[in-house]
Amino acid sequence: MIPGVQQALMNTFQYMLFYLIFSIPLTLSYRTTKVINFAHANFITYGAYVAIFLHGLLGLDIMSVAVVLAFIVTGAIAVLNNTLVFTPLQKRGSSPAIIMISSMGLWITYKYLLYMITDVARYYTAKNFVSYGRITYSDVPRGSIVGISFSQALVASLVAASLLVALLYLFLEKTKIGRAMRAVADNPSLAEISGISRPFVVNLTWFICGGIVGVGGVIWTSFSGAITPEVGDSAILQVFTVGFIGGLVSLLRTGIGAVLISTIENVGIAILNTYFGIPVSFRPFLTFVTLITTLIVFPPLGAGGGLPYRFLRRGSRK
Amino acid sequence: MVFNVKSIALLVIALIIGLAIGYGIASIVGGGMVTTVTVTPEKKTYYIGFTLPLSGELSSIGKVWEKVVQLAIEDLNREVQAYGFNVEFRAVILDDGTTEEKALQNVQSLVQQGIKVIIGPAASAQVKVVKSYVDSNKIVLISPSSTAPTLAIPGDYVFRTVGSDAGQAKALATLAYQEGARKVIVFFRNDEYGNAFADFLVSYFREMGGVAIKLSYQTGLPDYASEVATLASKVQSEGADAVILISFDTDGANILSHAAESEILSSVRWFVSEGPHGAGELLSPAIGQFASKVRLFGTRPLFIANPLYEGFRDRMKQKFGMEPGVFSENLYDAIKLAGWAILRAGTYDGEAIRAALIEVAKTYYGPSGWTFFDNAGDKALQDYGVWAIVPRAPEGYQFKDVGLYERGSIVFLEEAYS
Repeated sequence: MIPGVQQALMNTFQYMLFYLIFSIPLTLSYRTTKVINFAHANFITYGAYVAIFLHGLLGLDIMSVAVVLAFIVTGAIAVLNNTLVFTPLQKRGSSPAIIMISSMGLWITYKYLLYMITDVARYYTAKNFVSYGRITYSDVPRGSIVGISFSQALVASLVAASLLVALLYLFLEKTKIGRAMRAVADNPSLAEISGISRPFVVNLTWFICGGIVGVGGVIWTSFSGAITPEVGDSAILQVFTVGFIGGLVSLLRTGIGAVLISTIENVGIAILNTYFGIPVSFRPFLTFVTLITTLIVFPPLGAGGGLPYRFLRRGSRK
Repeated sequence: MVFNVKSIALLVIALIIGLAIGYGIASIVGGGMVTTVTVTPEKKTYYIGFTLPLSGELSSIGKVWEKVVQLAIEDLNREVQAYGFNVEFRAVILDDGTTEEKALQNVQSLVQQGIKVIIGPAASAQVKVVKSYVDSNKIVLISPSSTAPTLAIPGDYVFRTVGSDAGQAKALATLAYQEGARKVIVFFRNDEYGNAFADFLVSYFREMGGVAIKLSYQTGLPDYASEVATLASKVQSEGADAVILISFDTDGANILSHAAESEILSSVRWFVSEGPHGAGELLSPAIGQFASKVRLFGTRPLFIANPLYEGFRDRMKQKFGMEPGVFSENLYDAIKLAGWAILRAGTYDGEAIRAALIEVAKTYYGPSGWTFFDNAGDKALQDYGVWAIVPRAPEGYQFKDVGLYERGSIVFLEEAYS
């Protein structure tokens, strides 16, 4: 038995929930829009900073308010990115690689924009927003059941992830617009011929995906001990790994990726450290070994299904 | 439709550019990095280059340092003019994002602008990367915060206005041992600073007769929850009685906030390096309660009984409404030293400034104390204090210096935790 196994398992569960909330929208947005979006990192950060500014500037510690506002803000950013950058580029016939690079540009722009905003906020409040401590919310319960303690982050992310999975399933399977979204993902041209407005569906997808990640960002503020304007940047590699395991196509496999990566990062490293003396600092290394292994051993999950070139060939835009 | 999208795009881009310009103007008008003094034609202007961590891992402290630069340059200009020099110093500040590559890029582009004196970068890992470049180009580099003992190299162009961690490692080891710790887990950043500090710490602690086990963590992660979980299992499996944490501010705050939720880690003693000192996140109720529960003590470089430091702190609070964070006083003195060294050299040339800097530092005394350099170009006379996190009067918590390291042992000046 590994010592502290309970904590490792709790962390696994916690990270799995975060990875679900962050990665499922990545997969969903990619398969509908065909954009590998690095500005995804900003959705996490901006979501977290909506909560931080509400807390730091207005003294508001109600997570439900932060969640709603963050959904709107990050969803709007996602739609704005699409309208101003991705769609015009696509119309000019830019390759997926160019669009991916433009998303990197957006990523960096938003990062420094946030640094500017934190500077202005600091000027007026004399508070440090560049590194912000954990927020304790007044409307999220916490406690312990049969000796296992549930933090606010765990409660909130459990609720959010369950709602996400349930609502997404209902939305995609049972509603007309959800089916339209899947149709656009499967075959954009055919979908358009059958009367589905592709631009509308794409914008809606961006809004939903951006919004969900923003909500995850808010929950992150109740979990992490120090939130910085680069929190999304450092999380994005894991989020992409999880997404790639699902080939950026399959939502179910993205879910499996979330379980896999969170287990390896928490239980895996604990076992390696205890029995083989591998330093804890190897944790990020494990993540990427998993990614590469997945890509090589199960090509249909990773490289086969997900990379843009394959889609370009299979897609019927020409 | 296309026209619409284009015009909206133009509008948004214009808005962002406007925001950036407004931000720039605001920081200049509201006291930005450049002091606006009307320059009479014959006045000579000297530029001092800075590579500071305004973004990235150390941005929390970098933002404070930006203000320290402003204060020091203002003071320096006033002082040299009072002495009758018709010169003006100006700061050229570049952001290095706390990364090694950008620090090197910054140093190179400052040098291309003809700048011979550069202050920064902050982290030892960054100093290590720029060192060979400044040495071969004869550029005087003064880091206010790099402390890795591995960079104490005689005869080079790198100066440090803070003592090397060989001294602090001894103070921290003594603190832990004197407080009764016999088997410690040393939990440290896997970088130049953390590795060198941990090596010295472990060897001192073993010399004293204790057992020290090293456990490193990768830096730059979004969160350290699973690292802390592994630390907890290590503490349990080894039966350790204390943790010694060697970290910067943001990662330190993150680790402590997760440790506060762990029963195992709340039942052993905690000792911390200077990195997290001054970080606001450590003053949250959760960490404050944790600190008094585990009787958390840290060490930090300071200069005992220095009235100039008090004055400096008051001015920072008054002028910018912020507490000077860790190494702010060392940065302030680095700037003053650079200015006086340039004047003493009489020529804006790296080799001459280097020689002058060593002489100026012999007689200069500032908020960080007497700046005299040892033969490796590090601050020779460095005291170490002991800090704690204690409750503040109406509510909340504050950092407090409660003891000193003196002649091989820790002397407590007051009771930190009742």
